Amino acid sequence: MFRRKTKIAACLFVLGEVLALLPDAASAQWKPKDTEWPTYAADLAGTRYRPLDQINAANFNDLEIAWRIKTDNFGNRPEYKLEGTPLMVNGVLYATAGSRRAAIAVDAATGELLWIHGEHEGARGGAAPRQLSGRGLAYWSDGKEERILYVTPGYQLICLDAKTGLRMRTFGKNGAIDLKQDDDQEILPDLTTGEIGIQSAPVVAKNTIIIGAAFREGMTPKSMRNNKGYVRGFDVRTGKRLWIFHTIPKKGEFGYDTWLDGSAEYTGNNGVWTQVTVDEELGLVYLPVESPTNDFYGGHRHGTNLFGETLVCVDLKTGARKWHYQLVHHPLWDMDISSAPILADITVDGKVVKAVAQPSKQGFLYVFDRVTGKPVWPIEEKQVEVGTVPDEWYSPTQPIPSKPPAYSRNGVLESDLVDFTPEINARAKAIASKYHLGPVFTPPTESKVDGPLGTLTVGTASGGTNWPGGSYDPETHIVYAFACNACAEPIGLVRAPKTVSDMNYIAGTAGEEVTILRGPGENAGADSPMPPKKRSSGSGYVALNVDGLPLLKPPYGTISAINLDKGEIVWQIAHGETPDVVRNHPALKGTNIPRTGQETYNIGTLVTKTLVIAGDGQITTTSDHPRGAMLRAYDKKTGKEVGAVYMPAPQSGSPMTYMTNGKQYIVVAVSGGAYSGEYIAYNLPAAE
Amino acid sequence: MDISRFRIAFVGLLSLSLGAFYAAVHAHAQNGGTQTAAQAPQSETRSVWDGVYTEEQAKRGEELYRKECASCHGDTLVGGGGAAPLTGGTFLSNWNGLTVGDLFDRIRKTMPQGSLGKLNKQQDADVLAYLLSFNKFPAGKTEMPKQVEFLKEIRFEATKPDAK
Repeated sequence: MFRRKTKIAACLFVLGEVLALLPDAASAQWKPKDTEWPTYAADLAGTRYRPLDQINAANFNDLEIAWRIKTDNFGNRPEYKLEGTPLMVNGVLYATAGSRRAAIAVDAATGELLWIHGEHEGARGGAAPRQLSGRGLAYWSDGKEERILYVTPGYQLICLDAKTGLRMRTFGKNGAIDLKQDDDQEILPDLTTGEIGIQSAPVVAKNTIIIGAAFREGMTPKSMRNNKGYVRGFDVRTGKRLWIFHTIPKKGEFGYDTWLDGSAEYTGNNGVWTQVTVDEELGLVYLPVESPTNDFYGGHRHGTNLFGETLVCVDLKTGARKWHYQLVHHPLWDMDISSAPILADITVDGKVVKAVAQPSKQGFLYVFDRVTGKPVWPIEEKQVEVGTVPDEWYSPTQPIPSKPPAYSRNGVLESDLVDFTPEINARAKAIASKYHLGPVFTPPTESKVDGPLGTLTVGTASGGTNWPGGSYDPETHIVYAFACNACAEPIGLVRAPKTVSDMNYIAGTAGEEVTILRGPGENAGADSPMPPKKRSSGSGYVALNVDGLPLLKPPYGTISAINLDKGEIVWQIAHGETPDVVRNHPALKGTNIPRTGQETYNIGTLVTKTLVIAGDGQITTTSDHPRGAMLRAYDKKTGKEVGAVYMPAPQSGSPMTYMTNGKQYIVVAVSGGAYSGEYIAYNLPAAE
Repeated sequence: MDISRFRIAFVGLLSLSLGAFYAAVHAHAQNGGTQTAAQAPQSETRSVWDGVYTEEQAKRGEELYRKECASCHGDTLVGGGGAAPLTGGTFLSNWNGLTVGDLFDRIRKTMPQGSLGKLNKQQDADVLAYLLSFNKFPAGKTEMPKQVEFLKEIRFEATKPDAK
């Protein structure tokens, strides 16, 4: 039985402080303060912004560790991929943590553990497509009661009393909802192993909890048939399902005819796995939808495939569609809409626009009127290359925003190849010559031993802005977003043997045995034994680097500031120390290479009154700091670095900030390599 | 490929418990050292550039990798989704400046994710040999030991040190 609950709940010494700070009028609707961080992205508008300024350019270098909490014991083994952003309300910090994805509450001033709650899900947890600690949880209060909501790896929505960490028995069934049920589809093959889950944090808007769905990586599915990622709204008091939005339309619904030959019936995925944004005033929800099955081949789903890779606006009360805009027709590049849409009230040509801005893997910031769905600046349907993969269906055009300009690299041309020296450039060209190159939306190719091995892309699976998303300053109307500018992804397709997949093509490289890629925790079970894998002779694998140097030119990772009133990039900087392999490279001795930034895709930014704050995504060792990574602060007006503080490991979850007892804190999740997950809280020393 | 056959051959060759110890000593001697690895001062410890595994061992490791690791970390070790890359910039930066023992520890503690403890120390050392081989660190004449205390004396250096 998967619901055996852990015995580790409820240490109650927080009560005094929590009760003291609760509003006295029992009927008062709870309103968050701007010194708190009550939801994953600071607010439901997805801004990651707090107007705090105790920590500023003058003192950032003085920051010291106020407290830290290691997450090793919040699960049966340590975790090295801690991606959470905690919440802070009323002096209590809440987070998901550890390989159990436990919910924890700690004193926001001291880091003292107040309670921990874990769900032991057994085989169901073990079979989950998205394991580990997840990205966070949601907080709700009516001014009287406080609740914490999160989704377990096994896809149960859990409702806890925020004061005790105990399940709220009045919610759902004993405080839990089995999300694999009541989903307008039968989750196959069964409730235990049926593939569906989610790692993002739920959001609660007014009294509605909104939950999407995620699946395993979609590059090499075993079948064109998969479970579908619908989005649901639930009542925060009772857990009753209020609405559902079918991200793959059912027969008779709008968009069903964009799936030719009835392919909407069996195609799966198309979930909303990242953060959802809500305008409570307008009563509108913004859903960023991912790719349908499979990421790189659409031969079994001809048509444009609504609402794949589509920004969908639905009614908060009913889930009914208000408008939608498809960013990629007939998705073939894994351009999942991967982060929270950002709500921004801007002024364009003298007119006030309630806008929604969507960062993307492909480096476009798409900006719409969030009431009507009309683009703020024209988005033109432009002709794109039509590919030649057998049985594939190609959209002849794709939408390209006229403004703002792309803020990260989204295609690979010869001019993008590393050219530190002529020799290095020549070797990079030799590697690239094995691939098909082209601008954004150059389609995947069938992989051939004699070439091309595939299409060499950037700004696809792991490029641009991924799940951490951007930040937004509501005072200056500027979006700040990290982007991977050099996350090259070769996309080749190979015929799938029937023993491996029922699809015609899946991702692979000619000359390699075709195998199924699985997510962590998905084991080769007895039911689906995989053939032993051998590298055949004449292997087609080509490493995409030149003696350890990334194949593409720096900057490898950037932070961009984009003015939404004008649709212009205000500044762009390389973010992250130059990697050791580049800085110490023998071939580059004596050359002066400006900071390159780093080739990572999971960096989130935080914006305060004056600073943009983000940590390095890789470990370096320099004369300025020992082996570690730096948490950096930039002047948000200019992008100039104004301070940096040491972290023992890379930033793996986006930073957040809050004030408690008159002090500002910055909390960031670090982990990776040999360093297991840890939340670290920084503040300023009491004495100068 | 019958993996157990290799293992038996290996065990037969070196004798179970002391084999890797002698291997380490032997390796050190080959590098011109006169002390045992355990006694060697820090400055004389080896790095991944000193041929710390054999090609045969890496081949065994590859078999194991394909069976136990490739489904998440990929045939080309690039990782994906929740699985960390085992090659390229992020991988090298994660381990640069630490030791092979730290990487071994991490594998022992957390892998394979769904069936922790499935591989024994020898098998994990073999997989480690494959990772080094894939990342173009040179093979040598002596197998990589399976004792973490010896592995902790092999420095992981992303960049080849200057020839002296």
